[in-house]
Amino acid sequence: MAEEESAAELREKLSRATQLLLFKHHMQPGAKAWELRRALGRNYEQILKILGGELGKLGLEVKRISGGEENSESDRYYVTLKGHPTLTEARTFGWRIDDMAMLTVALAYILSKAGKAPLKEVERVLEEKFPRWRVESTIDRFIRRGYLSEDDEGLLYVGWRTRAEVDQRTLLGLLLGKEKKEEGKETLGEKSGEQKTGSAS
Amino acid sequence: MPGEREEMMLRIIDLCDSVRKRGLDPFDVGVREFFDRLRELLPKLRKDEELYLDIQAVLGLADVIFQQGEWIKHKSSMLYLDPLLIMLKLHALPPEDLAEIGASSWHPILELEGLSPHGIREAMQYWTNLPPLGERWKEPETTEVLAGEIARRELAHLGILSEEEFAATLDRNWRELREAAGEKEGIPYWDFICAQSFEQTVARAWLVSFLVSYGYATLELRPLEEEILLKPLHKPRKLEQVATFSVPISISRSEWLRRRKRG
Repeated sequence: MAEEESAAELREKLSRATQLLLFKHHMQPGAKAWELRRALGRNYEQILKILGGELGKLGLEVKRISGGEENSESDRYYVTLKGHPTLTEARTFGWRIDDMAMLTVALAYILSKAGKAPLKEVERVLEEKFPRWRVESTIDRFIRRGYLSEDDEGLLYVGWRTRAEVDQRTLLGLLLGKEKKEEGKETLGEKSGEQKTGSAS
Repeated sequence: MPGEREEMMLRIIDLCDSVRKRGLDPFDVGVREFFDRLRELLPKLRKDEELYLDIQAVLGLADVIFQQGEWIKHKSSMLYLDPLLIMLKLHALPPEDLAEIGASSWHPILELEGLSPHGIREAMQYWTNLPPLGERWKEPETTEVLAGEIARRELAHLGILSEEEFAATLDRNWRELREAAGEKEGIPYWDFICAQSFEQTVARAWLVSFLVSYGYATLELRPLEEEILLKPLHKPRKLEQVATFSVPISISRSEWLRRRKRG
């Protein structure tokens, strides 16, 4: 009887955690560590681990993103895709190829400059490949959506969404390894194949 | 020589600013050499402005040292790659390849939009208060009037422009400032602007800004005491004859409350 009760309680907590992580609260998706602790109790990390296992079967994962300090209560948990979408899939998510390319350029440039770069410089680099009228509005959109952040002095930084969604090391690695085009394509194809299988199962 | 001293300190401040704002390599700044130069200069500094510049230069160099620390941390991390190499790649690759790289390192967040009871209530209220379509499409009754000129007197009559009144207020404020300062050289800025209400305080600060801009008073910044001294002038000074600079002063409600409580 006690076992049944604890199983029901666990199921209840798992569904509560799923709701907290998937539904957008105010402006941002995901939930903060202290919110999860309040809703799920002290053992919230164990609940998230079980949830992570369940979501993993669907090609998803639970990610903890630090706000700066280590193991802070304001760290945020998100549910993200475990693998990565193909470029065609990204288009069906509402992304234009140009926009994805612009994000790659902006992020790579900022990361190469130790995590911050003046907005004007990023715009200048982007304007080498994209029309100026698109560059300004797209950077604004990236800032609004949290991919980039800007301070009062006009410096651009990596935003919260980039920290959650983009594997920065992979991005730079792929950028530098892009010369080996054939090899790179094979690897990408394999990876996206894995992703599809994961999602379908 | 004071000009040269100031110029050197301003150059150091500008260089330190460039490191922070434009991402210059902080190791390109000869921190030790600049500190030696500042140490040589320090005994020769006489004016408050020069000492203030010296403090700013020292703070700037301290910030460069902090940036050097951050730079080393970044270089020793796995994310460090030669910026030039990255730039070459960004330059060489077509947008399609760049987009493919972006998508391959992207793990989008899953997020769902949902309606909360509060949202539903708000929507219902909006719908209830929304006038019928016929009413919303009704054009307002207006008469077309051609654009024309309006005299200053008419603007004053409408309450939009009142130069005389403003000049009189400014004059009154100048007199008040001279009376408040009395025999003393000046009066602390906050002592003069602080009034019964926050709105009045802001209004006085606004008037003081005109007094200073028009040469009826001057401001003396005392960074060490964290004080600003407001000095009334008995004759307005011609602005062409003095070097002017802007001083931003924040007037917040919390600061006003703090000073009111302190009395």
